[in-house]
Amino acid sequence: MPATAPSPLARADLLAALRGTPALRPAVDRNVAGGLRAWLEDGIFEQLGVPGRGAVRLSTRSVTGSPPVASMTSLLRGALVAQLVRLQVAGQRIDDPFDDASCALAASGRNNDLVTMLVDLDTEDHARLAAEVKAHYAVLDVHLASIPSRWSPRCGVRQAIPLAGGGVELRGHVDVALGEPGSSRACVCLLQVTTSVLEARHEAVLSYLALLETLRAGEPPLRVAALSTSDGAFVVRDATPELLAGAVAGVLSALGAFSAR
Amino acid sequence: MTSTVHLRNPTPREVAHVLCAPARAAEPLSGRLRLLLGERLASAAGRVEGRARIDAYAVERDRPGFSTPFSWNARAARRVVGTAAARALATRTSPDALSAAASEIERLCDRAERGLARPGSLGTWLAGEPEHVRALCAVEAATWMAGLLHLVAPIGGVAIGVADAWHQVPGAQLTLHGRRDAAARSAGSTARLGLLRVRDGLPGPCAVDGLLVDGLIDALSGPERPLPSRVVGGWPDAGICLVVEFDEDAARQAARALLECAERMGETSEVARTLVGVA
Repeated sequence: MPATAPSPLARADLLAALRGTPALRPAVDRNVAGGLRAWLEDGIFEQLGVPGRGAVRLSTRSVTGSPPVASMTSLLRGALVAQLVRLQVAGQRIDDPFDDASCALAASGRNNDLVTMLVDLDTEDHARLAAEVKAHYAVLDVHLASIPSRWSPRCGVRQAIPLAGGGVELRGHVDVALGEPGSSRACVCLLQVTTSVLEARHEAVLSYLALLETLRAGEPPLRVAALSTSDGAFVVRDATPELLAGAVAGVLSALGAFSAR
Repeated sequence: MTSTVHLRNPTPREVAHVLCAPARAAEPLSGRLRLLLGERLASAAGRVEGRARIDAYAVERDRPGFSTPFSWNARAARRVVGTAAARALATRTSPDALSAAASEIERLCDRAERGLARPGSLGTWLAGEPEHVRALCAVEAATWMAGLLHLVAPIGGVAIGVADAWHQVPGAQLTLHGRRDAAARSAGSTARLGLLRVRDGLPGPCAVDGLLVDGLIDALSGPERPLPSRVVGGWPDAGICLVVEFDEDAARQAARALLECAERMGETSEVARTLVGVA
């Protein structure tokens, strides 16, 4: 996949590639969302008929075929890196990534089971996890060094799209969203941060999230990107009609697998 | 029959216009309904152990909003900080959402450090937390605020970040809590206002009951307060708004939903007491 390895210029690369030149951004097409929704609704009717309310719930993982989470330790590492993303977006100076992320996780009001696990870690696991988090943070610090607050950054944006009268729910979660919808030119950019190495499935994740954002906001985002904090590789995609069409096909395929069960 | 309109991907200006549209007719909350509801709620709440609170969440989900003792965290703080910051952004005293949230947190901490905040308040909690937690709260609040401001535009007739409605049921240890995140500005004390409430996730099967309850509690929160003209429920995660026109029928439906919820709480409390007695 065309992921870019970190380079001396990488500091500006990801955000610059994601935001692009404002004057060159395409005009917003507000008719796309309705067409995609109709396509999905037709596909659902063909495959499932009229499902009862909440009968099918699809998440990013179930649509993109991502493997199940390996262990609680991976989940904990991911949650800590997610807190570091938030702190980085807030422009907060981070002295000790592990301690600062742990402090933020404990005060987040979410993932209480992970907080309990964090408290119960033995010395060896604690040291290992701290070293891992520090390494992941070094990548974040390069790529998300400074996000201007005028870009209206949002973290942990949830997407929940009802289709077929609530019979099918598509759910997603965007790590960082930049730019505000509603202007004449597309400017919303979505960024997914993963602690794993980028694989082909991350392309599917990006297109799925772009589809949900289009259905949620009524207009397609400008670009979507994924950043791996394990090696600093990233991929940036324009939210083109082809990308969105691929996401619709992915959702219908996941529904097909669901109905075949 | 309650009139409900479903809006998908409405623009913030469209929602603002819905909120500000004039009500069909003047409709005060009937004194008889107010009195009867108070009596029956007090009777139902008498069976509940200790102090109880009912809000739209409890009505919709058939259980109280919190099952554990409340404590502040970034998630709980996001709406309080976010609405205050949204007000600052609407009045252009802050340039952007994140700066507005950070300024609001700084203001709350400053008040707490000067001894002006009560123990257990958000300001007291924030003042005792490290700067990383405050930064996290600012991001959470800015994200929440973006959801609100993508739903409704702070144009002339709309007040963003209004205080919630509270009503203490006379003669009972029962408090009613009505959520409101934006409202049409009042043109007088008897003017009927449109209300907006923001929620996470998707509207559930009882979403309309929840909106009606928020509207009724708004009317109960002042002695001569009229019924709202309409209540708009916004679900930014889904890009959906539900608009419920509020009239006397709607008020009766809301009263029924409140009573059923209070009675369920009483029954649950009695069952719990019986089980403790058996044990």
